[in-house]
Amino acid sequence: MTAWENMLLAAVLLTGFAAVGSSRLATGIRALGAQGVLVGVLPLVHSVAGWNPRMVGFGAVVATTKGVLFPWLLSRAIRASQTRRETEPVVGYGASLALAAVLLPAAFWLADRAPLAVSQAGALMAPTAFTLMGMGLFLMVARRTAVSQVLGYLMLENGIHTFGLTVFTHLPLLVELGVLMDAFVAVFAMGIAIDHINREFDHMDTTRLTSLKG
Amino acid sequence: MASAWILPALLLGPLLMAACCLIPRSADAVIRFCAVGTLVLAIPGAAAVRHAAALGPLFAAERWLMVDALSAYHLIILLVVFGFSALFAPFYFAGEIRSGRFGVRTAARYGALWFGTIGAMLLVVLSNNLALMWVGVEATTLLTAFLIRLQVGPAALEAMWKYLVMCSVGVALAFMGTLLAAASAGGTGESALLGTDLMRRAEQLNPRMIKAAFLFLVVGYGTKAGLAPMHNWLPDAHSQAPAPVSAVFSGFLLNTALYALLRYLPIVEAATGQAGWARGILVAFGLLSLVVAAGFLAAQREVKRLLAYSSIEHVGLMALGAGLGGVGAVAALFHALNHSLCKSVAFCCAGQLGRIRGTLDLRRLAGSVRVAPVWGTGLFVALLALIGAAPFAIFMSKFLIVKAAADAGRYGVMALALAGLAAVFISVLRHAVALAWAPADAVVAPQKTSIRAAALVALPLAAVLALGLWIPRPFAALLLRAARIIGGFG
Repeated sequence: MTAWENMLLAAVLLTGFAAVGSSRLATGIRALGAQGVLVGVLPLVHSVAGWNPRMVGFGAVVATTKGVLFPWLLSRAIRASQTRRETEPVVGYGASLALAAVLLPAAFWLADRAPLAVSQAGALMAPTAFTLMGMGLFLMVARRTAVSQVLGYLMLENGIHTFGLTVFTHLPLLVELGVLMDAFVAVFAMGIAIDHINREFDHMDTTRLTSLKG
Repeated sequence: MASAWILPALLLGPLLMAACCLIPRSADAVIRFCAVGTLVLAIPGAAAVRHAAALGPLFAAERWLMVDALSAYHLIILLVVFGFSALFAPFYFAGEIRSGRFGVRTAARYGALWFGTIGAMLLVVLSNNLALMWVGVEATTLLTAFLIRLQVGPAALEAMWKYLVMCSVGVALAFMGTLLAAASAGGTGESALLGTDLMRRAEQLNPRMIKAAFLFLVVGYGTKAGLAPMHNWLPDAHSQAPAPVSAVFSGFLLNTALYALLRYLPIVEAATGQAGWARGILVAFGLLSLVVAAGFLAAQREVKRLLAYSSIEHVGLMALGAGLGGVGAVAALFHALNHSLCKSVAFCCAGQLGRIRGTLDLRRLAGSVRVAPVWGTGLFVALLALIGAAPFAIFMSKFLIVKAAADAGRYGVMALALAGLAAVFISVLRHAVALAWAPADAVVAPQKTSIRAAALVALPLAAVLALGLWIPRPFAALLLRAARIIGGFG
């Protein structure tokens, strides 16, 4: 299954680059939606022992939550606010892509040094996870709109989810459900917050939320 | 099994009560139900504590849940803080309910979130499964975020957003740490996530992996615990939330995250050959928090933000004590209880004063003892206790933490801690005296004194005073056993 797995991971990385390099919020949301679906089915491709109903069912739940529900929530937020683009990002798009490109070999180097390889993960799994985490954190600091920060959070979450696969072929179901539910509520809460921010401030530029300090 | 009912009751009870709150009655009824329900939870809570103190750890659900001395001790703090805040809530919301700003639907949401938060925190305290514990920490973040937003207005919204984003990222990194900890055990199935199993084979864990795990955990859970430099969300969230919620934030939310971190401390120490690596990290973060808080406290102008920075100071002290180990670990746990008692009272009194005088500005709150004797005196005494005036118990625990540094021969740490504590003492005392007795610039009619309010404020403060003079033997035994788990002697 390694060939499939590597192809899937490459696609995951591409969606990450698409989100980092685009100023249109809708593109970012779609890219993260696609990434969510890919990460959701990753355990199925990764599994050595074949599939079981639990894995398929859970993969479907993850893919639906991250691929359909989250994009829908976030699209609603940008429609309501009429914000289409990320104007004046803290770090420009060219520089962002260049940074992401540097991140990739750094992630390979890091994964190489970490004594992982516990669940016969393919060679690409851990580097992909680290790259996603790095790009997610980067998005959260380098973009101004609230939606972009949620996208960064989602990418970070996807990275950690992918890293989890290198450690466990599967977590206990209760834990997996708990993690997914937390992610869902987080995005839901952030979506509501964005909605309120739009209404109260007429913008969703988080760098301008500065009334509380000291 | 006479004890089999305890843990399910503790975890399912709050869920059931949260559901009850969603059946709309009147706002008054919901607030009263919150108080009664929270007190009822003390029954299984007391049973769990008794079991852990008398018979040793209590396990349930294939050892996913556990109450040992450390969890029992934190369970006590949780129940005391929530019980006090729930009893205070009727005073705080009375005005809003009368004016119609706190309607049935808001009250229902408040009640459901209140019990949801209790349930999530109980999950953290009772989990032996480290991933389940993580789920609990993240759940507390999300539920409490909505509690901040209970008050409308742009400032509350800004606070909620900052809290949500910072703590979500922090807690996500803590999950990475949890995974790395499991990976350090070779990822052999589900038992790699059980705290007790990791502890048992701590010496076989991969030291490099467990170190990486601990770094992620410190940054992750440390964000939630309010350790500097990851503390930015804390003053905003604490100052914007309604007073009973601020009380719970400071009184137990921070402790929840610190508790999660303390669970890993003995594992990491054992895996790295008891070289003090993990302890050193806690000492560094603790000292930094203390110093940063001391700086901000001097320049504070708003009473709830003052209390919030004081929480950073105290969490720093707890981390410092736990990091020093020995007497320090005992003192850190003792300090946690003392701080939670005083800080809940302080936040509630500050919130009530803010209501009466229409401002939280420290200068404009001057002369509060005259205007509102109960809340003004309560806040003043609580502040006095918090800065470590003898003979309150906080003086004892602060003294023991500093002494632990001296015992360990770490005089630099001791000097820095003492300097921070002195700076805090001076700047907060200055604020507190002005707040209590300085001439008020506007004439406000003195408030009526209610016996019930006075008793509610006096009781926790009297307890902190009593603990400073005399520690009951069963309590001391539990405290020592809890401290032994995180590397204190006794």
